[in-house]
Amino acid sequence: MTDAPRIGDTSARRDLEKHEVRVAEGTYPPTEEMLSAPIDPEESRATADRLLKAWYAPQGWRYWSAVNNSEVGLWYALTSFVFMLMAGGLALVMRLQLAVPDNDLISADRFNQFFTMHGSAMMFLFAVPMFEAISILLLPAFLGARDMPFPRLSAYGFWAFLIGGVFIMGSLLFGAAPAAGWFMYPPLSTIDEGVGPDIWLLGLSFIEVASIAAAVELIVGTIKCRPPGMRINLMPLYAWYVLVVGVMILFAFPPLIAGDFLFELQRSFDWPFFDPARGGDPLLWQHLFWIFGHPEVYIVFLPSIAVAAMIVPAAAQRPMVGYNWIVLSAVGTGFLSFGLWVHHMFTTGLPTISLGFFSAASEAVVIPTGIQLFAFVATLLAGRVKMILPMLWIAGALAIFTAGGLTGVMVALAPFDWQVHDSYFIVAHLHYTLFGGMVFPLIGGIYFFYPFIRKQRMSERLGRISFWLTFVGFNLTFLPMHLTGLLGMPRRVYTYPAGVGWDDLNMLSTIGAFVIASGILVFAWDLVRPKGDEMKERNPWGAGDLMWAHDIPDKFWGVRSIPYVTSRNPLWDQPGIVERMDAGGYYLPDAQEGLRETIVTSAIDAQPQFVARITGPAWCTMWAAAFTGGAFILPVFHMYIPAMICAVLATACVIYWLWTSTALIPEHPMKDVGMGLQLPTYVSGPSAPGWWGVFITMLGDMTAFASLIFGVFFYWTASEQFPPPLAEHADGALVLASAVLYGAAWGATRVARPLNRDGQVALAQVLLAGGALAAALGAGALVWSILHLDPTSHVYPAILYAIAVWTAVHTIPGIIMQFYCLAGTIFGKIRPTYDAPIWNTVLFWHFLLVTALVAAFTIGALPGML
Amino acid sequence: MAAHEKPDLPAHRNLFRMILAPTIWAIHFLLAYCTAAIWCAKDLGDPDTLTLVVTGYTVAAEVAIVFLGLKMWTQWDYLDDYDYVHSESTDEHRREFLGHAGFMLACLSFVAVIFNTMPVWFAGTCL
Amino acid sequence: MRPLVLPAAAILAIALAGCRGPQSALDPAGADASSLASLFWVMLAGAVVLWLLMNGLIFYAWRAKPRPISSKAARILIFGGGVVFPTFVLFFLLAYGLSMMPDQRAPGEGLRVEVTGEQWWFRVAYWPEGASEPIHSANEIVLPVGVRSEITLKADQVIHSFWLPSIAGKTDMFPGRVTRMSLLPTEPGEFRGQCAEFCGESHAWMAFTARTMTPDDFAAWVEAEAAPAAVPETDLQARGLDVFLSEGCGGCHAIRGTPARGRVGPDLTHLASRGNLAAGALKVTVPDLIAWISHPEAIKPGAKMPAFDHLPREDIAAMAAYLESLE
Repeated sequence: MTDAPRIGDTSARRDLEKHEVRVAEGTYPPTEEMLSAPIDPEESRATADRLLKAWYAPQGWRYWSAVNNSEVGLWYALTSFVFMLMAGGLALVMRLQLAVPDNDLISADRFNQFFTMHGSAMMFLFAVPMFEAISILLLPAFLGARDMPFPRLSAYGFWAFLIGGVFIMGSLLFGAAPAAGWFMYPPLSTIDEGVGPDIWLLGLSFIEVASIAAAVELIVGTIKCRPPGMRINLMPLYAWYVLVVGVMILFAFPPLIAGDFLFELQRSFDWPFFDPARGGDPLLWQHLFWIFGHPEVYIVFLPSIAVAAMIVPAAAQRPMVGYNWIVLSAVGTGFLSFGLWVHHMFTTGLPTISLGFFSAASEAVVIPTGIQLFAFVATLLAGRVKMILPMLWIAGALAIFTAGGLTGVMVALAPFDWQVHDSYFIVAHLHYTLFGGMVFPLIGGIYFFYPFIRKQRMSERLGRISFWLTFVGFNLTFLPMHLTGLLGMPRRVYTYPAGVGWDDLNMLSTIGAFVIASGILVFAWDLVRPKGDEMKERNPWGAGDLMWAHDIPDKFWGVRSIPYVTSRNPLWDQPGIVERMDAGGYYLPDAQEGLRETIVTSAIDAQPQFVARITGPAWCTMWAAAFTGGAFILPVFHMYIPAMICAVLATACVIYWLWTSTALIPEHPMKDVGMGLQLPTYVSGPSAPGWWGVFITMLGDMTAFASLIFGVFFYWTASEQFPPPLAEHADGALVLASAVLYGAAWGATRVARPLNRDGQVALAQVLLAGGALAAALGAGALVWSILHLDPTSHVYPAILYAIAVWTAVHTIPGIIMQFYCLAGTIFGKIRPTYDAPIWNTVLFWHFLLVTALVAAFTIGALPGML
Repeated sequence: MAAHEKPDLPAHRNLFRMILAPTIWAIHFLLAYCTAAIWCAKDLGDPDTLTLVVTGYTVAAEVAIVFLGLKMWTQWDYLDDYDYVHSESTDEHRREFLGHAGFMLACLSFVAVIFNTMPVWFAGTCL
Repeated sequence: MRPLVLPAAAILAIALAGCRGPQSALDPAGADASSLASLFWVMLAGAVVLWLLMNGLIFYAWRAKPRPISSKAARILIFGGGVVFPTFVLFFLLAYGLSMMPDQRAPGEGLRVEVTGEQWWFRVAYWPEGASEPIHSANEIVLPVGVRSEITLKADQVIHSFWLPSIAGKTDMFPGRVTRMSLLPTEPGEFRGQCAEFCGESHAWMAFTARTMTPDDFAAWVEAEAAPAAVPETDLQARGLDVFLSEGCGGCHAIRGTPARGRVGPDLTHLASRGNLAAGALKVTVPDLIAWISHPEAIKPGAKMPAFDHLPREDIAAMAAYLESLE
């Protein structure tokens, strides 16, 4: 990720201008005189009116078509908070059931549904979406940006999340909820005759898609939407964490999506991926699930630590000590967390040495986490601690999290885990890490950021009551559980016999659970109760980062003008910055064209690159989410035809949304953004956020595909007979033909881009159409090459089918994109110099080519080599 | 000030360079894990040989990590001004920040690779 | 100091008493469980010290409001506390933990026990050294003290996990995959084990009893266990056997020495010598047997055994009396 040529770098500019690419012109960085030039108040008022009009969120019933990050983020956060309360309610019922031995308050089946949904909802409907919600809400403010780079994508993600979440939680009301655990291990879940596992799989896949959408948005937001001057070494720590976590989501969620794909193929069509009788292996699911599942823990933990990293300096009244160390720690944790997954599988009987590697990595990850925590301690010691209420929650979080971390060091040792695995010791450990590493920092963060979101304060008194109730209740519930587990009580039992020594400990935990609940309810009341007048001060905590310059909620524009930043704590170090921002004295104070605009800067040094026109309110995102929901949810009830219709309609909505609102040809190629700087209004290729969006999405997609290929190797190592000696294989000639056709389709698309740029539009159009035809034929040849095999007979033909289906399905968007570009060139949406969609299509095709060639190799050549 | 004017190369503006060392850790981890898994599943022979093979990976990985660490150390340029804090919006601070973080990531990766070799030394059995 | 010694000793004694139990990992009676318990106490002590240090520093910064330390001191704290210290501690801990693994998974010698996880009970087959066919049993593991016995683990439909905390850690049982572990009991006694991997509706009621005994006692036990079932002694018991056979119970259950040869459900040949009925849900008493035969589903939700409540009460009582006599 190197930066684009810099302003004033003439040779590189000449090179670009040859291709009629426009780059920034004028003065940058701004001079001292510019930064202190007086601002005409009359003009400032006029531009402010125009700006506000462009950013105004719709009113009345149209409010729900809003896409502003301040609205979508808030809906998102509140929705996931409600899901958290529901999942917590399930936990209370479970604790009541377990209060005394041999209890029959609820049936075994209901208990199993409850613990499955408690885990699934807390993870998929609360922890991850809550992080995304808060980041959507806060990140633009931290970065002095007007909004996220793809506001409609956020809105789409939110509606998808809402539909999927309501669907999954709703299944509880019908007693049809999944009951095989949040990890959904086959064969228990594949032989289940109800719809529970399908609800889980399809509902959560849908939400995972929404999560990945949010991750793409957040990564692009962090690297492309920082204010000018905010180089990578000045980024708020919160943004660093968002970047790391976004990338982690990108590599962690796709293996689960691949797993879901195989799982649902087995549930719906009886392809035996996890059926040992036909060569399948239930252990493959465990690998795919936990390759997702362990990074997931850090995906939950890091954003909360990010919140803590914003509160600690405010409490210590000094900048964070060891900024570089924390960056190291975040990045290091991000990496190491991918080497831990088998520590959830220490008891599966894998070879000792294999377990050893994961034990080692699980201990190694303690080092960056320790650095993290010591950086907080050092900052507190190096400052003068003011125990503001949010800091109280963070201190509680640290107390709880360190205990969870230390038991984590214990269970990371494989032999010790053999004892406590799947016992209440683990229940205690994981709640210590998640409450300490997520819930407490989150609530602390809400107390901290509430004045930013609502311009009111939450109650200091209620906050302290809530804290002590939750803190004491938490330890009352979960501290005894360590012992319960060591005394041999396994997890996920709906009841237990008297006399094994678990009775009193369980009663204690149940009492504690209700104390926690009372604490959370006090907090919830404090959150929703009417709070009187607006507060006057903007920066109640005296924090130094950019977000506290803001004037939310009544100003939808995010920032009045986008500042030039030269410090990590601009509000402490750049005197007068707030006043100048308010007066419109920095970049983009105006919206002459009435469009929503923000500045896109370079990834490393935050040099201004262009003005991005971003999307406004729309209903099509909601429709797209609804139809996507239909496409995922209807197959649960085996309504495949309506599901396909939904998929087509969802695609149509997305195409409409892209066509009408993205990469619009500007009225003028350059725009004066203030302080003597002119920026292009349209870019294509790697400078454009859209290109990054495609790139990042496809990285995730590649990860999912790699997981499928991993499956092939897994079957090979796990079985003596893979492929089976007498198995029929794919038709080699057709596979080869498919590879060649995909190559041709890619080549045609790739060549069409420079041809279009050079003005040979007709030739480019022919190539795009021909490429689409070749792609369709290629997909057909690939599927045809295996059509004579029976995927239900054995896992070998089944995995070949899965790979072919995956590739063929990915060809559909490839072809749609080719036609989109073709149509664009015909109807004037794409011109030789305005060709962003072609760049994105070519980028997609790079990835599709790799997918197709690897698929062809795996289907056609690999079986002969194994 | 002139003494501090160091060249600012494209490599110094590269975020991926910073994460090369942990990437080597990841490759080492996967290689060691896959080798051991195949070794045990396909019964490729004596575990002592496996120990040697994985230790060999480790030596190669550590050489690469040390090399990268030295590069990042140079980029950090600590001995130039003994500077730990890189909080200014200048080329120098950005360059040294990425160097410092990259150097520390290399150190972390070095330790993590050692940790990930310990299983073959202390628990090198397929049972 | 002296006045504190007694209360401290009393607290310690209560705490240790709280660690006892038939299923407790902290009350070990096996070599592996002992070394893991020691490992736990060592780690616990270290964890408590570290927790106090870390949170003590925060508390100190908060309450004592000390003079702020310099940036340099702060960096030394991060480096020392976050890097140097954990790297060394973890290195040694990891070496200690890793080197335990090969011992705990060492191959067994002599007896081999094959345990298969069913929904929801344990099928057990003993293969004493040199045996050409196994001795079938269920829901109970009997092992000799002082010998490392090999345990072969399988499963029928879904994944289970075999866990006997007093003797050693657990290992999962998979359909279509054979896993293994080995157990070295060090003290004779009676213990309780349980399935630890969620395996469906009645996962909570999938337990077993375990007995460890001296090698001599064990040899005697093997001989008795291999023998056919006790012959009915009373009329009631004889009637019970008749009902058992005429109701087709033998289609699923085996009672060696009678025509009942089913292998679908647990072997009942020496049912009454086992410490439990229905995989730990009940005891082998006449009332429990009656309750179980009449309504298995009410005791173990989802249990595969059909209810026999359509039989006359006397027939059920007779069967219970017979089964209760199968020492």
